[in-house]
Amino acid sequence: MSTQKPLFNSLRKAFDQNGSLKRLAPLYEVLESIIVTRPRFTATAPVVRDSLDVKRYMMLVIVALLPHYGFGVYNVGCQALLASGHSPNFLRAVFIGLQAVVPIVLVVFAVGFTWEVVFAVIRRHPISEGVLVTCTLLPLTLPPTIPLWQAALGISFGIVIGKEIFGGTGRNFLNPALTGRTFLYFAYPAQISGDAVWTLLIGGKTAAVDAFSGATPLAIAGSMEKMRDVHVVLSDAGYTLTKLFFGLYPGSIGGTATFLCVIGAGFLILLGIANYRIIIGCILGLMTTAGILNMIAGPDSMPYLSLNPLYHLVMGGSMFAFAYMATDPVSSCHMQGARWVFGFFIGGLTVLIRVFNPAFPEGVGLAVLFMNIFAPLLDEIEIKMRLKRRVSNV
Amino acid sequence: MKFIRIQKGFDLHAAGRPSLELQRLEAPETVAFIPKHIRFIKPRLAVKEKDSVKVGSLLFSDKHRPDLKFRSPGAGIVETVHFGPRRILEAIVIRLDSEEEDEIFSSISEAALDTMDTKDLVARIQEGGLWALIRELPFKNIPFYHGKPPGIIVTMGTKEPFEPEPSVYLRGREDLFQFGIRALKRLTANVVVVLPSGNDAPDFLHKMATHKVSGKYPCGDAGVLLYWTKIDLNQKRTWYIHGQDVLLLARLLRDGRYPIERTVVLAGPDVKHPCHIETRMGAPLSHLAQFGTINGDHRFVVGGLFTGYPEPGNGYLSFHETAVAVLPNDKKAERFALFKPGYHKPTYSRAFISRLNPSPMTVDGRYHGEERACIGCGYCANVCPVDILPQFAFKTIIIGEMEEALKHGILDCVECGLCSHVCPSKIDLAQILKTARADLYKEMVHR
Repeated sequence: MSTQKPLFNSLRKAFDQNGSLKRLAPLYEVLESIIVTRPRFTATAPVVRDSLDVKRYMMLVIVALLPHYGFGVYNVGCQALLASGHSPNFLRAVFIGLQAVVPIVLVVFAVGFTWEVVFAVIRRHPISEGVLVTCTLLPLTLPPTIPLWQAALGISFGIVIGKEIFGGTGRNFLNPALTGRTFLYFAYPAQISGDAVWTLLIGGKTAAVDAFSGATPLAIAGSMEKMRDVHVVLSDAGYTLTKLFFGLYPGSIGGTATFLCVIGAGFLILLGIANYRIIIGCILGLMTTAGILNMIAGPDSMPYLSLNPLYHLVMGGSMFAFAYMATDPVSSCHMQGARWVFGFFIGGLTVLIRVFNPAFPEGVGLAVLFMNIFAPLLDEIEIKMRLKRRVSNV
Repeated sequence: MKFIRIQKGFDLHAAGRPSLELQRLEAPETVAFIPKHIRFIKPRLAVKEKDSVKVGSLLFSDKHRPDLKFRSPGAGIVETVHFGPRRILEAIVIRLDSEEEDEIFSSISEAALDTMDTKDLVARIQEGGLWALIRELPFKNIPFYHGKPPGIIVTMGTKEPFEPEPSVYLRGREDLFQFGIRALKRLTANVVVVLPSGNDAPDFLHKMATHKVSGKYPCGDAGVLLYWTKIDLNQKRTWYIHGQDVLLLARLLRDGRYPIERTVVLAGPDVKHPCHIETRMGAPLSHLAQFGTINGDHRFVVGGLFTGYPEPGNGYLSFHETAVAVLPNDKKAERFALFKPGYHKPTYSRAFISRLNPSPMTVDGRYHGEERACIGCGYCANVCPVDILPQFAFKTIIIGEMEEALKHGILDCVECGLCSHVCPSKIDLAQILKTARADLYKEMVHR
């Protein structure tokens, strides 16, 4: 501990106003501030300030996401073993999973952080903690087979176009992680959609063993023939409600574990980081829309229409996006009432895109981005209504 | 009596709350008048260094309003007159004589008070140098007298963590307080005495109170009460005065001498025995602090944790303030604070485990973080007692859309400072709103 102080003091000299590395000051500041918090005293009223800062706010989101990484690593390895004809062994699964996930995470963090530093240095703003959340979120939404250069491209697009060109965290209107994910989806559909990409193959195999189906539940439900019960087809493929809830099936690295999303959402709501209105609004919207589709479904209509709303909730990444993407405070609505509407529409749109648009098996990402664009409008409406109630003071 | 519940606000459980004990201090060697903390005035000095003054001698008056006078809180020799940058008059320091002499003002009997002309009464308060104790909403400026105000709110506390309790400063001064209220009633028929529930108040005050408010800080504030009871636009220029200042006013009018006594709270984590102190106007902070502080290095806050300003240890109590908080001045960097659960971190949020800690916590004068862009968490709107949306209002101010800012109700802002306090991005929201309001004052009121 005692060596830290002289080390920081000598380092700080190089980065301060007259130092040789003064342009890289934001980089130094962020690294130092993770380890020590230098006191900054208030000069104006109120003298006393709350202990919470944005750094901790964002760090708690990352804490909530860590279990997803643990689960994702195991699930990737487990699915790879199954697809290659081996029986799943915990340690082997974790080892294989780490081999697949760690490079993606490293690349995403390295590239994302580099972009943030570049912008911070050129635009002379501090490095924002938001970039860490973005970099933590993005790998969890990607398939384990994604080429590393695509992961790098995705995070670059997310950070630069989704956030930095608007001025950095706090001024972006889209969720940067989802922006990157969606960019990859539209730019490289071959590597991020279809049945093959969600499962890693090991031992030089080029195709999964016959007994293994790599199809995701969303793909099965979206492409089934008429006249069959969607629930039967899903359970034939092994997708029962329980299995979907626990998420041990091919999918994105950490997004399939609905039970972890529920725990994470609870954790973030309890700590006051995520807004419960958005999450509950999302779930309500999804349930209501799926329920209405159930009602209008006839014997001749698409079987997808009659899918139980609960399946919609636990399938794919809907709960992951509800808990971590829709609740991004910056790009979501800022008014309490508007947050309900915002959430409700995300849930509704998710179901509509899934069911009626066969090109997009998963609709939740697009739904969140779409509602991100409408968030300022919803806010504006609520603010107008609220300001009308004030007794004028002018 | 009306009961009002204020929904929003925030109670900070700060360590070092003052006890109800009242300690008396002997006279200090120097006292001072600090003009720079009286808003919207332009002083014209009436004394120079080495002049001798009595208690209540004219120190300075306002350049634009010659009848706005400020008088000396002590008798002795003017030791120094401090000027700040751009020759702002910062402080007039007076070295006290051992025997102090009073300036004599004419006194009024209770019977005469009820029959006297209102204009005459106003002139007497102005001549006596206490007109500045009364402030006018929404700008909190010293009022211009153009006939009866729509009302006067007498505040008996706002539930700030550290503020004098009415039961202490009113002890044995019931008559004086009654006299003061009678004087105020001569100015307007509508005198409102607002008592926050939970404050320790004597029985007679419970009888006199017209409004009782419950809620969190700043529920007893005049601006908050006005916001929640206002029914039409005419009320916006309501005046207000603090309960303790009513005593000063009464002392001037009834006894015909310039009052200098003040009951001050000395509190905070660095005070050995936080309590009430009977001292005088303009007392030096070091004089109060000799009363017992711990640790070597302090930060003094004059006037409450949320509304007060930091003042160096050689500073003085200013005209309006009745609270001094002594906070630790710990310059040590904190290691790995980001990863600690924070059982002793005072916070409004739920992001620290300290929410489970019922004991009061040590507060200090740090930002606890770096400034960031607004992330839209909405904490500020959750605590704002007058329903402003600071996260949107401050943006309208920054881009210069004053019309929009007025629609957001920035004139209702009571400057309680809670928005800045809770902001995780450490944006000085309260200061931005305050500056904008001051600019508006110059445009709308000041001629």
